[in-house]
Amino acid sequence: MTLEVFGFWALAVVLVGSALAVVLTKNLFHSVLWLALALTGTAGIFLMLDAEFLAGVQILLYAGGVVTVVVFAIVVTERLVGTKLSHTSRRAWLGGGVAAMFLAVMLSQLARVPLSPLKIPMESDPTRLIGSAVLTRFLLPFELLAVVLLVSLLAASYFARPEE
Amino acid sequence: MGLHAYLALAAVVFAIGLFGVITRRNMVGILLGIELMLNAVNINLVAFSRFNGEVTGMVLTVFAICITVAEVALGLAIVILLFRTRRTAMADHVDWLKG
Amino acid sequence: MDQALVPFALITLLTPAAVFVVLALVGPLRRSGRPAALLSIAGAVTAFGSAVLLWSRLDAPVQRVWAWLPEAQGALASVGILADEQSSIMLQLVTLVSLLVQVYSLGYLSDEPAAALGRYYAYQSLFAFSMLGLVLAPNLVQLFICWELVGLCSYLLIGFWYKKPSAARAAMKAFWTTKAGDVGLLIGIVLLWRQTGTFDFGEMRAMVEGGMVGVQGLSVITFCIYLGAAGKSAQFPLHIWLPDAMEGPTPVSALIHAATMVTAGVYLLTRMAFLFALTPDILHLVAWVGAGTALMAAILACAQNDIKRVLAYSTVSQLGYMMAAIGAGFASAGFLHLLTHGVFKALLFLGAGAVIHAVGTNDITRMGGLGRRMPQTMIIFLVGTLSLAGVPLFAGFLSKEEVLGAVWASGLTGPFVMLLLGAFLTAFYMFRVVFLTFFGTSVENAAGSAHEHGEHRGAHDPPIAMSGPLWILALAAMAIGIYFTIHHPEVEFVAPGWLAFTATGVATAGIVLAWATYQRELINAESLARATGPLRRAAAHGFWIDEAFLGIYRGVLMVLATTVGWIDRYLVDGVLNVVSAWTVAGGDGLRKIQTGHVQDYVLAVAVGVTVVLLWLQGAL
Repeated sequence: MTLEVFGFWALAVVLVGSALAVVLTKNLFHSVLWLALALTGTAGIFLMLDAEFLAGVQILLYAGGVVTVVVFAIVVTERLVGTKLSHTSRRAWLGGGVAAMFLAVMLSQLARVPLSPLKIPMESDPTRLIGSAVLTRFLLPFELLAVVLLVSLLAASYFARPEE
Repeated sequence: MGLHAYLALAAVVFAIGLFGVITRRNMVGILLGIELMLNAVNINLVAFSRFNGEVTGMVLTVFAICITVAEVALGLAIVILLFRTRRTAMADHVDWLKG
Repeated sequence: MDQALVPFALITLLTPAAVFVVLALVGPLRRSGRPAALLSIAGAVTAFGSAVLLWSRLDAPVQRVWAWLPEAQGALASVGILADEQSSIMLQLVTLVSLLVQVYSLGYLSDEPAAALGRYYAYQSLFAFSMLGLVLAPNLVQLFICWELVGLCSYLLIGFWYKKPSAARAAMKAFWTTKAGDVGLLIGIVLLWRQTGTFDFGEMRAMVEGGMVGVQGLSVITFCIYLGAAGKSAQFPLHIWLPDAMEGPTPVSALIHAATMVTAGVYLLTRMAFLFALTPDILHLVAWVGAGTALMAAILACAQNDIKRVLAYSTVSQLGYMMAAIGAGFASAGFLHLLTHGVFKALLFLGAGAVIHAVGTNDITRMGGLGRRMPQTMIIFLVGTLSLAGVPLFAGFLSKEEVLGAVWASGLTGPFVMLLLGAFLTAFYMFRVVFLTFFGTSVENAAGSAHEHGEHRGAHDPPIAMSGPLWILALAAMAIGIYFTIHHPEVEFVAPGWLAFTATGVATAGIVLAWATYQRELINAESLARATGPLRRAAAHGFWIDEAFLGIYRGVLMVLATTVGWIDRYLVDGVLNVVSAWTVAGGDGLRKIQTGHVQDYVLAVAVGVTVVLLWLQGAL
């Protein structure tokens, strides 16, 4: 019990801290690295929620794939522009105010809603359950997802094609 | 830890992401903020799924992650395209929608 | 009812219609001129024969209607024929004059191009159909439709020489002036329908006789109907169109503006006499206006030098007599005068046409001594003049006496005096025309060898196509006069014994005065004119009635229109312009919040979502 509480708080600190770093740091490249950390922290949260498969996907796709793509993009565009990309904020106080308001509203709403503190046991291993759900109930969305990925792949390579 | 804790954590991360989207000048920075917001959503989905003992939320998370990846790829492609045509990556330099 | 007579009425009505349709649709036939004329005349002969047969066999009213506008409880409006004593006699007048005028036109319009001649005969047939439809109408709806159709034909035929600006203008004036009255007629018909629930004459008469029609508000209805009749029958002040209508060909004036169409108003009031009897105040108005019109037009006629305008004012004057008789409550007397007037006025117009055709001018001061060159025409014209003047043994004598008797019998002394004075003037101005035209010294002789009116030299009696109809009408006028002298028609009132002598005496006095002035020149025409002084000057300007209308138009209508235009331009449009300016300014202002920056939109969405959440929580 205490281990779980300790683990949650540790992960929460890492997650919130790295998220703040993502939006506050001046260096865009650092921002991306902080995002990788935040994503990894999210994977830890997933682990705590017994979703090992999702944690794996999170690390592989996000922390691996997405961050790599973003870094590539930064490098490519910096070479195109020829200067270092600046990474400043505008209207930070306004944005912060709105975000804080939003957070306050969300939290106050959360405080009002009674939610179960106990985890209902899963029928079996979540990974197994995900696998069977994807291939039974969610088969059609799953196939459509493949199409979406293909289309976005083609679209991205079309947009980013070399100039004629 | 109860469900409240996970949801509150997700809300904090979401708000931070929103702040980033609103304030960042660089379009890549905006994309990063969006990533944070999507992550918060994923945390919510998985938490609900686990506490209800039901796997649907996790399946949706799988979908969400995949779509997010596609979105990032497309978003970055658009950023690169914008670089080429406008020679800028600053979101506030782009105001074609100005009335 | 004897339905066997229905086909006669239908043949009378539909033959001219068929001729018109053929002429309208078959262009080559119409443009060929004379064949079209012959076809039209054949139609007129058929119609006339059929009308005579109908009249001779008619012993009881014949009615036949066909439903036209369907409604839940039977037909709302129907078309059909109603042949009774009045309409069958009227039918004969219309078809006879129409036939004679069409024959006459062959000679009169012989110089016209073939296409124009065909057009003329198409209009003539259409007019015949419309007028017959009006006469035979069993209800007010059909009557009104035909009423408008004859108005249209009048417009088309006045403007027959439409390339002449004065003719086009006169056609327009006739159309609009009569339309002003027609609006009243239409309103009256609708109001009457609301009051009685029917358009049918027979049903209406039954209701009136059964006492089922409330007198409340009836005056307005009869006044509206009278307004239509006044426009059509050229009663003061709506008479202004008729003298100008003389721009049309003379046969048209004879047919439409003397014998038939202008009498439609009188005919309508005769038809509706049972209704007008319920509103004595309107009847008084009819009588006074009629008598006033008769006198005024007679004065105006004395001041005219254009032979056709003299006849036109004379027509206005005689229509006033008819109206006065109706107003006195004895519609039959007015109707009788309508019939006799139709014959002798058509005769006079056609005779005047023969003169104009021969000398090429309308101005009586430039004629003179034509009697020796055109003896037949002179005799014919004299017959018409004597009839109009009301000399015994001629057509107009008895009917005019009846009108006077009717007015006297109903105790309308004022109108009676006016009419008597009018009768004196009638004799005077008609004989003025006769003496100036047919007697006296020829102008061309006085001027030596004429140059500009070389036509005078060749002036001679008209060809047979024109003289034939003239003789027929002249004989008819005399026959009617003699017939009535022998068979005195029964009257519903008691005329005083001295009336016949008075009427004759007045007419004779007028003739003698004209003879003394223009033939013997015992009285100088100039000093006579001076003696009447201002009256004459006023008459020369038609009593400034046209100017009065123009003044009303300028003073009232134009001011009103300008005011309305100003209100529309600056108030109505102004409000709209201000509103639209506000809208544009508001749009311009709101446009600025569209910065084009994606992040501002995200900010707005975030604020919006927050607000919605707060609202859902009940915090707002």
